[in-house]
Amino acid sequence: MTTQIELSHIDKHYGVFHALKDVSLSIEKGSFVALVGPSGCGKSTLLRSIAGLETITSGTLKIAGETMTGVPPRKRDVAMVFQSYALYPHMTVEENLTYSLRLHGVNKAEARQKAAEVAATTGLSALLKRYPRELSGGQRQRVAMGRAIIRNPKAFLFDEPLSNLDAALRVHMRKEIRTLHDRLGATSVYVTHDQIEAMTMADHVVVMRDGVIEQQGSPLELYDHPISKFVAGFIGSPAMNFVPGTIGADSRSVNLEINGSLSLPLNRTLDTGRKVIVGLRPEHLVVADPGMATLRLPVAVVESTGSMTYVTTNTTPELTVVETRRMNIRAGDSVDLTIAPEHVHLFDPTTEQAI
Amino acid sequence: MSRIFNSMRDGKGFDLILVGAAMVFLLALAGLPLVYNVVMSFQQVDMFTLGSLVRPFAGFANYVAVVQQPEFWLVTKNTLIFVFASMAGQFIIGFALALFFAQNFPGASTIRGLFLVSWVMPGLVVGGIWSFILAGDYGVLNAILKGLGLTQATIFWKSDPNFSLWAVVIANIWLGLAFNMLLLSVGLAAIPRDLYEAAELDGANAFQRFWTITLPMMRSTIGAVLSLGLIGTLQQFDLFPALTEGGPANTSNVAGYWAWQMSFQLYDFAKGATISVMMFVLVLFASVVYVRSTRHEVRG
Repeated sequence: MTTQIELSHIDKHYGVFHALKDVSLSIEKGSFVALVGPSGCGKSTLLRSIAGLETITSGTLKIAGETMTGVPPRKRDVAMVFQSYALYPHMTVEENLTYSLRLHGVNKAEARQKAAEVAATTGLSALLKRYPRELSGGQRQRVAMGRAIIRNPKAFLFDEPLSNLDAALRVHMRKEIRTLHDRLGATSVYVTHDQIEAMTMADHVVVMRDGVIEQQGSPLELYDHPISKFVAGFIGSPAMNFVPGTIGADSRSVNLEINGSLSLPLNRTLDTGRKVIVGLRPEHLVVADPGMATLRLPVAVVESTGSMTYVTTNTTPELTVVETRRMNIRAGDSVDLTIAPEHVHLFDPTTEQAI
Repeated sequence: MSRIFNSMRDGKGFDLILVGAAMVFLLALAGLPLVYNVVMSFQQVDMFTLGSLVRPFAGFANYVAVVQQPEFWLVTKNTLIFVFASMAGQFIIGFALALFFAQNFPGASTIRGLFLVSWVMPGLVVGGIWSFILAGDYGVLNAILKGLGLTQATIFWKSDPNFSLWAVVIANIWLGLAFNMLLLSVGLAAIPRDLYEAAELDGANAFQRFWTITLPMMRSTIGAVLSLGLIGTLQQFDLFPALTEGGPANTSNVAGYWAWQMSFQLYDFAKGATISVMMFVLVLFASVVYVRSTRHEVRG
């Protein structure tokens, strides 16, 4: 595997605002990397810096081995799919697709031939003579993709491309983009605020926060071993439950400050009396028989989707529990919960780093 | 009775009232004078029949007489030069300024706002200012040209037949510049930023982006600016009395000012009306071309 995009020590200032803080990242050729984080975390700025649409204050950027730090976007040979699609409204689908080819002096017949090929891969063949305003959201999305594909660029950059589509279409396009990526053997960088998109599409997920890369790794790595409370809360849906707690007298259990004091066994040893934040994923909390359970909590709300049952407890802080079984529980009842010791995440209350 | 009242409050009656009010206003203040002007161009008009509506029919006699006037072709030529040179100057410099101020440097919008001074000022005042600037003996323009060594001789901008029309053109470009810039700025601002970014990533340099994105996206704005520019330039009147009064020897006379001279200096109202109708046909033609060109307008 070779490195296709290499960022080293990138800083970006907007006046006094420090948008990117010493960001280093290397992106393998052929990989699908998702940049994910809450709005304002710098993920779009990072993507736009790769494209050259933002200048970086310091650091170096290499694409396919060449230093691109000060190179204008048109000479970087990267393609971008915008959130708004940015289709040229005065051009037909075919003209949109062939725009870059025409700029690079490709002759008309060849450009049309290529447009036809790309249209076939993206399902646009019947729409080549239409204008963007005559297309649906999903079709526009495809044109934007096609416009990127036709150039065979060194990297594809996606800036929240699915956020303007409805939920069903988003799920569909997610697969389509991933399939296309695999078929073209392309290198893709995908910015999203939706962790599910990042988890489902990417080989490698980069979680950003306040201009810093908080953690990166494969989707399951981030899910199983979040290095901080922030990553733990951001990855996974519904979000992880956090409860303050203290390590018990036997050093092998934690007392939760919830509904009195309840104790959970741990699979490791820690100093007695140490304050911690306990992270419990909703899907790891299991409704158990009364005798087996470690937590007995009052229920506030029970929501059932048919396949899933969501139970919210009437406690401070409240806990969310996801069960795949049908539950015979109602609001006001008590529920008995258990969790395997290896699924208990612990975080330091001051640094918020995983323990 | 109450049905009529209801319909007037919410229904066809209400629509009719709204349409009617607009139509009455248009007819009274634009339609009737226009029709009267056209009628007058086909009549014999003199000082004694000025007050009456029904006058002897003259057929096309007025039109023939206007064309046979010795200055007709000179005025026609001047009008064309005046219109094209003014519009070209206003449009090109206005577009350049609009692009300049679209760069968003500190204070860009404030300075752009100050440019509107020329648009706010009455034409007669602008004419007065340019009359000083263009003056042969003490004018600032001549001083600058001589100072830069561009010319040795004193140019009498307003009284030299070779320059008199251009004196008015220069003043008119300055007068219409801000209006062109403003409309074009609005058009530029309406083009989404990400289109330029997409084009840049697709490999377009600055000139290609202007040619393939800016210009096509500005098509309807440019059409509006040019047709308004044509109307404004044909209607330009104030600068002429302030600068050259159409002279010397009609070398800076244009149709609009000539029509006014016919009617209100020579009291030949028929000829004045005839020239106006000829201009009206010209504007009408340009407007039709404009409307047709924007009919297939493309907007995303």
